[in-house]
Amino acid sequence: MKNYDVVIVGAGSVGLPLAHRLAARGVRVGVVDELSSPGQGQNKAAIGGIRATHSDRAKIQIGIASLEFVRRLEEDYGEDVDWVQGGYLFPAYDQQIAENLKALLPIQKGYGLNIDWIGPEEVREIVPGIRAEGLLGGTFSPEDGHLSSLKLGGALYRLARRAGAEFHFETKVTGMEIVGGRVTAVLTDKGKFGCGTVVNAAGAFGREVGQMVGADLPVYPDSHEAGVTEPIQPLFNPMLVDIAPDEHSDNYYFYQAKEGAIVFCITPRPKRMGTDRRSTSEFLPMVIPRMLNLYPRLRNIRVRRVWRGLYPMTPDGVPIVGFDRDVEGFFHAVGMCGQGLMLGPGLAEIAAEAIVDGTEPEIFADLSPYRDFSGEELLK
Amino acid sequence: MRISQHPILDQKTGREVSFTFDGQPLVGREGEMVSSALFANGIRTFSRHKVDNAPQGIFCANGQCAQCTVLIDGLPMKSCITPLREGMDIRTLVHYPTLPPDDELRPSRRPPELSCQVLVVGAGPSGITAAIELADAGYSVILVDDKDHLGGKLVLQTHKFFGSMADCYAGTRGTDIAKILEEEARKRENITIMTDSVVVGVFADGKAGIYQPQEERYLLLSFAGVIVATGARERSLVFPGNDLPGVFGAGAFQTLVNRDLVKSSERVLIVGCGNVGLIAAYHALQAGIDVVALIDIAPKVSGYKVHGDKIKRMGVPIYLSHTLVSVQGEGKVEKATIAQVDESWNPLLSTAKTFAVDTVLIAVGLSSVDEFYSAGLEAGFPVLKTGDANEIAEASSAMIGGRITGREMARRLGSTIDIPEEWFAKAEILKSPPGEVFPRTHTWPPEDGWQPVIHCYEEIPCNPCTTVCPHNSIQLTGRTGTIMDLPEFSGKCIGCGLCVLICPGLAITLVRESEEAGLAEVVLPYEFDHNFQPGDQVILRDVEGSDLGRGTVLRTRFNKKHRTHLLTLQVQADIATKVAGILVQDPAVTQPLPEADFTYLPDNAIVCRCERITVGQIKEFVRENEVTDLNQLKLLRTAMGACGGKTCLDLLPRVLMEAGVKKEEIRPATYRPLTVEIPMKALANQGGDKA
Repeated sequence: MKNYDVVIVGAGSVGLPLAHRLAARGVRVGVVDELSSPGQGQNKAAIGGIRATHSDRAKIQIGIASLEFVRRLEEDYGEDVDWVQGGYLFPAYDQQIAENLKALLPIQKGYGLNIDWIGPEEVREIVPGIRAEGLLGGTFSPEDGHLSSLKLGGALYRLARRAGAEFHFETKVTGMEIVGGRVTAVLTDKGKFGCGTVVNAAGAFGREVGQMVGADLPVYPDSHEAGVTEPIQPLFNPMLVDIAPDEHSDNYYFYQAKEGAIVFCITPRPKRMGTDRRSTSEFLPMVIPRMLNLYPRLRNIRVRRVWRGLYPMTPDGVPIVGFDRDVEGFFHAVGMCGQGLMLGPGLAEIAAEAIVDGTEPEIFADLSPYRDFSGEELLK
Repeated sequence: MRISQHPILDQKTGREVSFTFDGQPLVGREGEMVSSALFANGIRTFSRHKVDNAPQGIFCANGQCAQCTVLIDGLPMKSCITPLREGMDIRTLVHYPTLPPDDELRPSRRPPELSCQVLVVGAGPSGITAAIELADAGYSVILVDDKDHLGGKLVLQTHKFFGSMADCYAGTRGTDIAKILEEEARKRENITIMTDSVVVGVFADGKAGIYQPQEERYLLLSFAGVIVATGARERSLVFPGNDLPGVFGAGAFQTLVNRDLVKSSERVLIVGCGNVGLIAAYHALQAGIDVVALIDIAPKVSGYKVHGDKIKRMGVPIYLSHTLVSVQGEGKVEKATIAQVDESWNPLLSTAKTFAVDTVLIAVGLSSVDEFYSAGLEAGFPVLKTGDANEIAEASSAMIGGRITGREMARRLGSTIDIPEEWFAKAEILKSPPGEVFPRTHTWPPEDGWQPVIHCYEEIPCNPCTTVCPHNSIQLTGRTGTIMDLPEFSGKCIGCGLCVLICPGLAITLVRESEEAGLAEVVLPYEFDHNFQPGDQVILRDVEGSDLGRGTVLRTRFNKKHRTHLLTLQVQADIATKVAGILVQDPAVTQPLPEADFTYLPDNAIVCRCERITVGQIKEFVRENEVTDLNQLKLLRTAMGACGGKTCLDLLPRVLMEAGVKKEEIRPATYRPLTVEIPMKALANQGGDKA
């Protein structure tokens, strides 16, 4: 039996940065994951946007912390993850949408987010070739950006290992050993990992892992499909998010990665619940006409590949983070709602402190597994 | 640089059109692939990679990789699948393209939806025969192929086929078999043929996405079952210089030379002595291209002995237990260095030989293209694979295999149609690798006039000589009781030459005693253009290419049906049964350069061509990060390029093993659609600029 201070279940968007933060603080960390290498679940499926542009306190503040981390990655750790601080731009062609976006600004600014409304001319300057007709302007948050999820996962894995974290891949968690109301080990198909604390960072499978200690977490994955084009010369910097729904879909969003490709994703309506990750024939005919309607110039770019990833959703769109009430030493960090990549680094800092120092920041109230889940997110 | 004369192939017709390359006015043939038009004009560098500004040449010539991408009228396009049109402005693609500022809003349309009972992906020998069987069983079939013609790689095969005449058109050239199969398919009303159509994905919701580049259109196709007959792709090889323009697959070579009649090269070195490499050498000679050598790391020719013997007789050296040390040149292939290998297959540099060549052909085997099969299994609809997509074998076995698969699919869909037992047996035999080699003795002199001498020593699945003999004097005899057995002559020979003409291995001659004592006449098959006159001297070769002195041409005749010349030579009687061919290639071209190049930097070899990732980079990353999952190499962008890992994923396991990873620890990379890149305007069916 291997012994650790903390065992993290899941080497993904949350588990990787947390392993790094904990190990950097001298904690003996073991990470178990049933896949063959780090970030092979939803982490690499994330298209790469990193924003603090949300509509609630917890996600804005965690987002700001994540941005702080990725901005310093190269300088502090020598890791290039293709970070581009290109901002997030939500263009509006519809009066109602413009009003809705503007209404969020005071809340967003109130929590410290650098965001403002910009006029159509400025939008067109930032995104050359965006459809001019009917453009009313949009919100722009210049400190947001995008990076390669693959590279961030790879970098965090390297950093975590360098700091002393140990990883066990192709290791499937089968249960938890609980003695006297306290978790003492993680049981797996490769044996037992003894520990003082367990972190449930199992992403789309967070509910199943929670059930191993009797927790009933409302985490239900739905799925989105995404795609990537060939790389082209630089065209635009920000992540573009069109929140105007159409007949079969809600928002869609895309950006040009540092290496040149355009990466895109759409939210289908109705939602596709479940863990099916196979690509469907519906995705491209759904998303491409919408992209070309917004950005006609993209018509000549070639789509290279498509995939599908899971969004482990909570009823109110806010993650579930905090210690379990019934089993001592069991910490939940799940329900990232498809934003694990952008929340993970910021969350890791806060969670590491909570685990090591027992701190309980204010936002933990918003993230509590035992909160009232009836709220609804304003900006999805 | 076109092939203006070819012994087998007809000259291409087609209007001459003018186009420009980097502003320079050039002429090509309308409708030929842009890559061929460029090659015909001596252009072999198509783009510059953003890494090192490295020149990129053609590689697969099959629409699979993206090495031949050029800018056509401002847009990046694969030149090997884009037909040439009048007035095209073609340019070297330098690094990544810039999107033209075309900001006009155009209406998009949902993809048209089609349906059929069975989708057959790939119209090569197995796909067509499968479609025919299904159609005859009453099923509606859509037969889709990404090329503008049917027949798959048959159209590259100018040689006569092995196998049996009854089952797979043995003795007929692949190019002619393609025509026969196409005609059969077109006769059937319930087969809808879609050429120039690329299946880009078989999706979980039971639909296939089809991209039609010429119409800039995207379709969705529903089906009850899928047959994957997508053939194979050529394996690549890791050696320093493998990225230089002028290193390409043997299949790409056959495409340029046999399909498009473009003289792609002056002097080639071929790596790999399987049937593909051996046949490529023969095709090169027929196209007037010098072959300095064939090499293989194995100690023996793995292709058919008759193919290897034929090549050796013609004057091409075969170096066994040899490897390619490096290919050198400034921006293109200029030299290639080979060396013998030790027991661990490492080159013995002291044995290095360097040849001046402009092309190195890679013929180190094929791997099945079966992604749609896996996708189908995952999605849970009836899916079968056939031909090379199922198992790499000769096209002869693909034809019978396709028929079996067609009927199997009919049965999967509820039909009670029977599949004859003997089909399975035949398929099994036709895909047999060569069997044993047996010695022969040839009787001399013949009892009465002419007599065939059969220089066929190795068991292979082939019998046309037994079928054509008008006196039924050639029979298979041997240990297997199948068409693997060796042919033997006994009985009457009238000297008609049909066995000589039909033999795909060019392994039968006719001999008789001359009236003049001590002399004999030998009739040889000859598949080259010639202007031999009676009295001309030729250099005689025995079966494996040893010199037998000189012979004199007595007469020649041409058989139009078989497109083969019969040369009648006068030779010394004591060697009459030994003469199997004549020297075709001047031995001087096979001489190495006086100085060998001993540089050997294996870590510089490129593994991922799209992203230019080297062996050294991968090994370092693997060691640093303890990589066992090929997905992790995507961090280096390995397999993230235009081709999606079609070439490098095959090569990576060996590189990992060289870096110390155990084979059983290596995990495969995840495959994702699409198989080829599609412009957004086509996905949105915006109507097409060309229409």
